[in-house]
Parts: sequence; C-alpha cells; structure tokens
Amino acid sequence: MLRETQTAIAASLLAGDVAAADRIRSGKMTTTRRLEIYRHNVYANLRGVLTEIYPVILAVVGDAFFQHAADQFVKAQPSRSGDLNQFGREWAVFLGGYPHAAELPYLSDVAHLEWAWHEAFHAGDAPRFDLARLAAMPAEVHGSLCLVLHPTVRLVKSDFPILRIWEVNQPGFTGEIKVDWDAPADTLLIRRDMTDGVSVLIERITNQEHAFLRALWRHATLEAATTAALAIDAAFDLQAFLFKSVHTGIIVDFTAQEQ
Amino acid sequence: MYPSFHVEAGRAGIGLRTPHYQAMIETRPDVAFLEVHSENFFGDGGQPLKYLARFRQDYPISTHGVGLSLGSADALDREHLRKLKRLVDRIEPALVSEHLCWIGVNGRFLNDLLPLPYTSESLVHIVDRVSELQDYLQRDVMVENVSSYLEFAESSIPEWEFVREVSQRSGCRLLLDVNNIYVNATNHDFDARVYLDAIAPGSVGEIHLAGFEDAGDVLIDTHGSPVSDEVWRLYEYALQRFGNVPTLIEWDTDIPELAVLLGEAEKANHILGRYAQKSDDVA
Repeated sequence: MLRETQTAIAASLLAGDVAAADRIRSGKMTTTRRLEIYRHNVYANLRGVLTEIYPVILAVVGDAFFQHAADQFVKAQPSRSGDLNQFGREWAVFLGGYPHAAELPYLSDVAHLEWAWHEAFHAGDAPRFDLARLAAMPAEVHGSLCLVLHPTVRLVKSDFPILRIWEVNQPGFTGEIKVDWDAPADTLLIRRDMTDGVSVLIERITNQEHAFLRALWRHATLEAATTAALAIDAAFDLQAFLFKSVHTGIIVDFTAQEQ
Repeated sequence: MYPSFHVEAGRAGIGLRTPHYQAMIETRPDVAFLEVHSENFFGDGGQPLKYLARFRQDYPISTHGVGLSLGSADALDREHLRKLKRLVDRIEPALVSEHLCWIGVNGRFLNDLLPLPYTSESLVHIVDRVSELQDYLQRDVMVENVSSYLEFAESSIPEWEFVREVSQRSGCRLLLDVNNIYVNATNHDFDARVYLDAIAPGSVGEIHLAGFEDAGDVLIDTHGSPVSDEVWRLYEYALQRFGNVPTLIEWDTDIPELAVLLGEAEKANHILGRYAQKSDDVA
C-alpha cells in the first residue's frame, strides 16, 4: 500500500494532474489545492537547483524562458537522486533538443561548460605529483605508464565561442559585451586551482593538448596519449606540456600499466 | 583530529548557510552549534568541505539530511548512505539527523519532504529503516517531524502518536520541529499542545524553530521569516515538558544578515535559560 500511495502521489505531482486526489483528505482545502502546493514546491525547488548550476544559461535566455524550459526538463527527466548536486546533468542534452532553443545552437555547449564547472567545483582533492617516485622508475618503462589527471579535470569542446559567452555573462563583468562569432572553436580545460584548492579555472587548450588529455582521461598509456596528440599536430611539444601539466597540477600521479 | 564537542543543553545554534560564511569567520559568534544540510557536503572535495572543516574546528556541527528519503517504499540508496557515512567520518558531527518523510519513489525523486501515510505499515517500515541507518552509520541518528499540506485518506494513526512510536520502537531520539507542529496544527485542525503532550519527555534531542508564511488558506513552512509569536509560545510550552533541549534557528529562503539569525538564537537562549535539563532519563 505504501508504494502504491507514493507512486500515485509522485506521478500526480510530476504530471501536474489530480489523479491521486482520492488518496488524500480534503478538509478546509480542496485536494486539488493540496496537490498544487506540493507540485509548486517540487518544481520551484528543482528550478532553483538548475538556476544555481546554470547561471550563464539563465543570463543568456532570461528568467521566463529558463523557468519554462526548466519545468519541461523536470517533467521529462525527473531527479534521480536525493542529492541535488546530481540533478541537472542532462540539461545540456535537453537544451540541444529543445525546440524553443533552436535559434541558440551554442546553448547546449554552454550548459556542458557549466556542468563541467559544477563537477570540478565538487570533485575530489589530490596531492601534487611525486616526482621522486617517477624518478625511481626506469626510463624505458615511462612510455607504458598511465598518467593520472587531477580529479577535477574536465574537457569541453565546442564549435562556438562558449568561453567568451561565459565571460561576458559573469556577474561583475564590466567590459564590452561583444562576442566574436567568427572566433575559432573553443577547446577548454576546466579544473580547480591547485594553489588554493577551491577556485575553478577555465582555460583554452590546443587540439593536440586536448587529444593528449582526453587519452589520459581514458587511461591510455603515456605513449598512446602522445601518439594521439601527434596525430593532430606533429609539432606537439610533449616535454613542455608535461612540465606545465605537472607543475600546475593537471597531472597528479601515475600508475604502472596492468597493475 | 577535531576537538571533541558535544552540544550543550540550554543554548541555541543556527543553520549555517553560505551567505554567512564570511561573517561567521570574521566575527566567530558564540552559538552552541552549527547545523548544515548533509547533502551539500556530499562532494568528494573542494570548497564546501574545506569551509565545513574550518567551522568544525570552532563549533560542534549537526549534519541534517534532507535527501535520504527514509520513508520511501524504495530500498535505502546505498550510494547516499555511503556519502553520508563518509561525511560523518570526515566531520565527526555532534548531532546527525534525518526527516520522517519520503522524497521519491521508484528511483524518481521529487526532492521535497513529503509526509507519510500514518499507518501501521508505514510505522513498521520506518522503524526498520531508522535501525538500518543507525546500524550503517554506527551511531545515533535523530529523526524530525515534517510540515505538511495534505493528509492521506488511509492514515489511521494521529501524527503525534506515529512520531512518538517511531522513537519508542526504534530507540532513536526526536528532532522536534515546533514550527512544523504549529503549521500542521493550523493546516490540519488539531491542537498543537496535544501533539507535544503525546511525545515522551526525554525522547527529544533537539528542537527546530523557523518562520512560516501565511498563504491565507494554509501555512507554508518557508524558513524565510522570523519565528512567529505563536511558535515562540508553543516552544515555551515544549520546554516545560522536554527541558532545555538544544535548539536550532533555521532560515533557508530570503536569508537575512547573520545578526538577524543571532538575534533569534539569543531570544531562544533567553527562554532556554528559564528551564533545566530534563533529558537524563533517555532510554
């Protein structure tokens, strides 16, 4: 009985109908009004979560558009967790297929960037790379090592200048609100700053750096990742990029293959 | 690694919310404890946990869950339990609490605190789950009564008896939200004092106070305004019965300056000062 009641109430609240009305008492308010209070709370709460995770989308499309799209999203992709930090993962994909957003083709990519920011903000901490440990490994096995990215590292690629869109929509942005739509595609690295451990950084990287990091993300060996980067551009400077990545805490560890 | 704190009886704490972090660090106000929503610290790392660890150095912490869905017909979410235990192990909170409610079913979540049908089936179910939770966390957990805007046709037990029985049968203490009792008494036409009279003295480990919004036909538990005069009076009635139980001022929407919360906590302290501890007879 408990499951039947909860199932009926949940379905009515999500659909916004009164099918579950016979399961509740009326008293001094109608059952419709009682369900409406909860439906309002549920949607307002989940819209609020999306507003917090996606402030740039909100700034771009405005409040009315955002709230309407959010309601459609909640209905189509109900929350799957009691932890609201997990809610909204599919928002970018939803916006990509949202008919009213068809004239804003960059919207989905901006949402991908904001979700990456959200994940980077909450992801785990990690100590810096232990160079002494690496030095103890014989040079001939270096190519077969798997380099480990900092848990906060996320990669986002877009055909649109999404970083610029992100920048001009930040609170406190004072420059000229101008986006160069002919700018080259954005390839972005999102991560937390190792020096304070909390600030989320977004930076542009090259396509070969992206290929290299993406390969590491998939647990490829150093050799395979290097091959992937060189396939994009034969001039990929492995030494310099490795030095920079270890120094800034993008790469924090290594594992020997097949261990 | 952390100082071992317990929450002193006879004093009030406040809900810790991000807009107040800076003012809290700068002014270090003298409050009995700080309460946070557990799920806000479920991440693997970063800023939220860094701040919480910092506050934990100076204050007892209460982790208050809003997402476990203790009353759902679904099995308890293992991932949620794992993250809650990780937080409890990391922060060593003085108090841990959850709600007597459900927030989702069949894997779909409404993320709003929905009341249970008050039936013997629900009672058996939730008592089992409170035990499961306490076993998993290896510590005591308190459960809180929720506000509600509906009652189920199938309910056969008054809410106050249901709440009392959960505590009696599971052995867990109650986090009694006096504002929620007031809101429900108004919304469902019962006497709030009858509710308080039904709860066993000694079974209450914490009291919540917050503000509601009068929507005309119904009181909505918004946590967005000062505690009302009626709720202060009901609080006083509760303290006569339960003694000077640690009390928390909750404020979650339209969050005012820290000083306003501290003023509410001071008001609670003033009332608490008139009552002695009565909780030595806890089972």
